[in-house]
Amino acid sequence: MTALQRIRQEVDDYHPFLKLLILLVGAGAAAGIARFVFGLGATTNLSDTYPWGLWISFDVVTSVPLAAGAFVLGAIVHCFHIKKLEPLIRPAIVTGFLGYSLVCIGLLLDLGQPQRGWHVFAYPNLHSPMFEVALCVMSYTTVALIEFLSPVCEKFGLHVPLRVLRTIEVPLIVLGASIATLHQSTIGTFFLIAVDKLHNLWYNPILPLLFWISAVFTGMNIIIVEAVLVHRYLKQPDETELLSTLTKIIPWFLGIYLCLKLYALVFLSARPLFDRPMLTVLFLAEVVLGIIVPLILFMGKRIRTNGSLQLLAASMVVFFGLVLNRFNVSMFGMIQKNQQTYYPSFLESVVTVGIIAAHILFFALIARYFPIFEHHPETVDYEIPDHFQRIDKHPVAEERV
Amino acid sequence: MSASTTTDISQQRTFLIDLTRCTGCRSCQVACKQWNQLEAEKTCFFKGEGYQNPPTTSEHTLTTIKFRDYQKHGQNEFAFYKEMCMHCNDPACVSVCPVSAFIKTPEGPVVYDTERCIGCRFCMVACPFGIPKYQWSKALPLVMKCTGCYSRIKEGLIPACAKACPSAISYGSREDMVNTAQKRLAARPDKYVNRIYGLNEAGGTSVLYLSALPFNELGFKKVTMQPLPSFTWAALRFVPAVFITMGSTLSFISWLTHRKERLRKEAEAGKGAHTEHKEAKP
Repeated sequence: MTALQRIRQEVDDYHPFLKLLILLVGAGAAAGIARFVFGLGATTNLSDTYPWGLWISFDVVTSVPLAAGAFVLGAIVHCFHIKKLEPLIRPAIVTGFLGYSLVCIGLLLDLGQPQRGWHVFAYPNLHSPMFEVALCVMSYTTVALIEFLSPVCEKFGLHVPLRVLRTIEVPLIVLGASIATLHQSTIGTFFLIAVDKLHNLWYNPILPLLFWISAVFTGMNIIIVEAVLVHRYLKQPDETELLSTLTKIIPWFLGIYLCLKLYALVFLSARPLFDRPMLTVLFLAEVVLGIIVPLILFMGKRIRTNGSLQLLAASMVVFFGLVLNRFNVSMFGMIQKNQQTYYPSFLESVVTVGIIAAHILFFALIARYFPIFEHHPETVDYEIPDHFQRIDKHPVAEERV
Repeated sequence: MSASTTTDISQQRTFLIDLTRCTGCRSCQVACKQWNQLEAEKTCFFKGEGYQNPPTTSEHTLTTIKFRDYQKHGQNEFAFYKEMCMHCNDPACVSVCPVSAFIKTPEGPVVYDTERCIGCRFCMVACPFGIPKYQWSKALPLVMKCTGCYSRIKEGLIPACAKACPSAISYGSREDMVNTAQKRLAARPDKYVNRIYGLNEAGGTSVLYLSALPFNELGFKKVTMQPLPSFTWAALRFVPAVFITMGSTLSFISWLTHRKERLRKEAEAGKGAHTEHKEAKP
């Protein structure tokens, strides 16, 4: 049997949903090629009025905080030492790594001269938020890749690299969290330059801080969404009890975020605030459905034991509190009065759908071929200096069910 | 960090465009196209606002005369607005470009290095005047913008549009241009609105305008009086501190929690050994 046949057999085995995803990813890739063949003007609805469109708003500004789960959970588990959440950390790292890789792909498609990406190193401009984000995203993607190597090495039984990875695990998490803090907030700094363009509802000097806090709570909510979906569709154990720990942390961040947002609105924003009905509705949707309602849900008792309720509240935060917020800031709030509106073109949408599909597809495939849900420390030779007490020397054959 | 505080802008080359003296002949538009060898655009009358043609600036048109009809004493009148790069003293495009493709030259013009640009289009988002335009027709596009005819200035010439203009554009040091503008405002207060657009807009620009109509009615954008880079720098300057604080705090917390864990384990081990010892004794 040739390799090709083997691959075909393997793919035939996949769930129809995965096959659909493969199709969408293929379509996205074709659309991406079309962008380079026919040019940005012919394939997108971008214009001099809207130099940034769906690709920046979703594939970069929104995807980066959506991939925040890895650094947030890493810090919770390894720095704050809430060890019981460790089973969630590998899926979170995979999501983070995939998310950032796809951000890089989205960015390369959107750049006019992607072949010159290295110019960022050659001609750095320390006053540019874009320089800062480019540097951070590249280094964070590298960190996430290194973190992701653990299950890969386990899969192939590479014990020596695994030991090295174990040794640098905590420093790597600290480094990753610090880098992520920088670029999560600096994406907010992008829009500080749009002082006469971004609507007053969103423009305020603490936008970078708001972006960082919302990235942190989104990271936790994404983990909840992911864990519940993985339990339902990938036949993994029910993690409701573990997730209840996160549901106790989330309301603090949501609460602080809400207070800061209202403070910024009242004291730090220019007037008028509510002069455009459509923007007011979008703002209210973001605040009420994305922060206040989930905050109430997360403060209740019932959410600690109810997986469906966790999924509902977490999805509300992700869709309204984060995705809508980022679109409000980077797209809707930037539209001026009496300006023609921007709609993404068909090709732009196909690329973005392809990127989302790629994320889900690669996650499912990695889950299929690499040990990301089951951790088997007992299979590893751990005769290494263990400064961080990371390794249980006498593994108890204790199966989590 | 801002250019306006570190460099003397009074000697920078500056355009003074007196819109009351503009006749709308558009020779500046033609001269700009010729000097910069820009392609013609297929246009038609009344596509944009009134008589202006082409309707907007674009990758092929770096300066354009905007037309505005209005009524004065029951008579139809025209007012004009020459749209071009303002060559800010502390330009937003210079500060946001990740690869330093924009440079504010000591002579005044803001120029763009086509060899460096990676095409992120942040300059287009950042520019308060909407000046940088993109080559949307190309697969690997670049930004197009007015260079203030930097190549001509280097040779001791004045910019093409200023040279071609029969009446409205004066060109010289910023100091002289501001003085001239103030003199004109003082001499004919009835003729002008009492304002020099560009004196403080976006922290001051190397293009100054005088007008008979209020500037917003002519289509001038409402912009902040502060240099735009100051807004992002207010947040960006904290980056090293945030990185160090975040890194050291997390490191310290990790050290603390791991130490606690180690002590707990040692205590447990000690207790275990102790009980074993006890058991062994009898």
